[in-house]
Amino acid sequence: MQLQQLDHILMRVQKPSRYTGGELNSVMKDKNAVSIRFAFCFPDTYEIGMSHLGMKILYSLLNHREDTWCERVFAPWVDFEEALQQENIPLYALESLDPLSDFDVIGFTLQYELSYTNILNMLKLGGVPVLAKDRPSLKNLVVAGGPCACNPEPLVDFVDLFMLGEGEELMNELMDLYRASKEANESKAAFLQKASQLEGIYVPSLYDVTYNEDGTVAQITAKDGAPKTVKKRIIRDFDKVFYPENFIVPFMGTVHDRAVVEVLRGCIRGCRFCQAGFLYRPLREKKPGTICAECRDLCESTGYEEVSLSSLSTSDYSDMESLLTELFDYTQTRHINMTLPSLRIDNFSEELLEKIKAVRKSGLTFAPEAGTQRMRDVINKNISEEDVMHSCRLAFEGGYSSVKLYFMIGLPTETEEDIRGIVELAQRVVDLYYHTENRPKGQSVNVTVSVSTFVPKPFTPFQYEPQDTFAQIEEKHRILRDAVTSKKISLKYHHSDASVLEAVFARGDRRLSQVIYKAFQKGCTFDGWDDQFHYDRWMEAFKECGLDPAFYANRRRSFDEVLPWSHLDYCVSEAFLQRENKKAHEASVTKNCRMQCAGCGANTLVGGKCFD
Amino acid sequence: MIDIRVFYHKTGRARYISHLDMMRCMQRAIVRAKLPVWYTEGFNPHIYLTFALPLSLGYESKSEVMDLRLIDEEFSLDEVTTRLNQTLPPDIRVVSTAKIVHKPQAITHAIYTIRLFAGTCSAEELRSRFCAFMDSEQILVEKRAKQGRRKITKQIDIRPMCALLSCETAEDAVLLTLKTEAGIQSNLNPSLLLDAFLQANDQMPLRWQICRESLLMADGTSFC
Repeated sequence: MQLQQLDHILMRVQKPSRYTGGELNSVMKDKNAVSIRFAFCFPDTYEIGMSHLGMKILYSLLNHREDTWCERVFAPWVDFEEALQQENIPLYALESLDPLSDFDVIGFTLQYELSYTNILNMLKLGGVPVLAKDRPSLKNLVVAGGPCACNPEPLVDFVDLFMLGEGEELMNELMDLYRASKEANESKAAFLQKASQLEGIYVPSLYDVTYNEDGTVAQITAKDGAPKTVKKRIIRDFDKVFYPENFIVPFMGTVHDRAVVEVLRGCIRGCRFCQAGFLYRPLREKKPGTICAECRDLCESTGYEEVSLSSLSTSDYSDMESLLTELFDYTQTRHINMTLPSLRIDNFSEELLEKIKAVRKSGLTFAPEAGTQRMRDVINKNISEEDVMHSCRLAFEGGYSSVKLYFMIGLPTETEEDIRGIVELAQRVVDLYYHTENRPKGQSVNVTVSVSTFVPKPFTPFQYEPQDTFAQIEEKHRILRDAVTSKKISLKYHHSDASVLEAVFARGDRRLSQVIYKAFQKGCTFDGWDDQFHYDRWMEAFKECGLDPAFYANRRRSFDEVLPWSHLDYCVSEAFLQRENKKAHEASVTKNCRMQCAGCGANTLVGGKCFD
Repeated sequence: MIDIRVFYHKTGRARYISHLDMMRCMQRAIVRAKLPVWYTEGFNPHIYLTFALPLSLGYESKSEVMDLRLIDEEFSLDEVTTRLNQTLPPDIRVVSTAKIVHKPQAITHAIYTIRLFAGTCSAEELRSRFCAFMDSEQILVEKRAKQGRRKITKQIDIRPMCALLSCETAEDAVLLTLKTEAGIQSNLNPSLLLDAFLQANDQMPLRWQICRESLLMADGTSFC
């Protein structure tokens, strides 16, 4: 397709540069000179997808292959979708502007459950059959990876194979296999059978699932030589892992519009609610020199004025001191702002604060997650109120007059006291401000309390826990509202029944595929966007399929239940998760991995020892 | 320190970059080009740059002008052109870099070429309709304006603000060359004229492509 054909529709939609491509560092190749055309699809809008680090890594990795051209596809916003349909233009990739149906491999990244209907919609708009069974040939192979691939069961009707764990090595192996199969003119079935032999590839059609009368899973059986359990892949030597030397630089402002370098993968903390903390185990770090070189390369190839040191918990990096010293010299002279997301409260220091506000002062956010010590012990957050107060005092003395605090509600064993504790903690931070001698003069303090709803996720110690019902959550919101008496506290929470759906799909089984399909046919897309979310349509879809959302969201699982994802192995053992679950109910904490190994099992991935 | 002027084209996919995004895009290209530019010294230091006359979203242009401040007065101006062309996206091309002669306030007119595609009638019929439209004594349009703090819409006659330099058919399209008032004194966006034409012709289906060809000063010479 030519850009001219899009001209008149681009002029009548919001933010047209979402749909034009042509950004700096986007990769153009001759489509006739490559063997594999790969469409990397992000099932949300351009500005969200372009902020995603995983996409940048895999886009660059795939385009480093001479035999592959990887392009990008995003979900069109509703106005552009309508225009595309009116003009009969299929959804296209941003580089070649060719329709999705032209591509050999169509890869989706599964970042959050509420993007599932967008996957179906993008396939439909791109002229690709939505159901896997309606795509008989090897062309248009639909693959998916990312955190939600740890329980991909609700998507098995649509996706041909899933990639578990980290993609940097597995992606290349899969592409080699695909190319060989394509050149040998093999059938899709033959390819899938071979792919299932690669470690980290899960081909759902090679597994049969039976159910008990009560609706729980009875048995999951592998067939045609597929492995009984599929184990996730990781990069053993993280310091040597592939990293892009450049990023595409979008024209429009995206959510994260900056250079990003990943300093470490995994997390030592073991917070019991946090899925990422378990999925990405074990902890692996890059050397300071590697990180600095990657920062420099990226800043120079993109011209970005900001670089972010990213990870699940950046202040847990073992050699922060030398990293910051080395990097700081470079960023200072180049007018580059350095941001450190995900700092922990208990190791936030004065020096750190000095450095992050050196070029440009941004906001400070801390995450106590829960309001009382008991509750923080239940979730194994391992921070004390003193830690919170210490960090806030540093911030106030450093010239900040506002801080943001993150909390969760709906956690297991939560009581009214824990809910009120959130506001009480915020009030003590307000009081602290006025007791801080060196606070900013003549300014009033503002403490933002941001509250989200807990969703139990697979591969966490809370995978057995029921989620609060929507009515319970609403009641807890009311308690919070009533507890706030000061104008210096701004309470923010998300009033949405979408978190129910998130809980359903996070721990759902394959029968939910038909619910997603029905909801999509009823016009559900962009479920993560409040203004597009239709709870009633979803409830109709559940009803028509004879399934009850409460069965998935609000039910406690016993330790001996066969979980729908029990044939997938993320190298954290069920025995460990159950041990942690019991400790949670006793409000007993587990030490971080550096202090004492908790025996989760992830050490087997790196040859027995996570730390030197 | 020296202020310099960069002349560039903005075509193809780049025409969908909004003015604000253009600012960001240029700043990053300048960083990548490692030009010795001056940074503002305020609370949020950033590269000092200004655009002579903002371009509407969706328009192509062969007359874009951006002013920069270099800290190295000896720096070669041709080198600025070369380096920026190495670091800008393909659809933004620098044509030349020169010392600043006039202030942006000196701009009085712009020349646009406009390609009109008729949906329902022949190119010849469209041409004669447009010429007839331009023969009107006055062309009244509603323009949003401010009166003090109040937002109001007022009616203005845009006929005296523009001149049709040529109007011919080219295959299935009509090709117009239009001269309009431009700059901070008085500015006419050609789409306002086209919208008025549609209104006078029962909202006929019409598509257009607009390209700003040049910026002129009061004496009729090119802005430099």
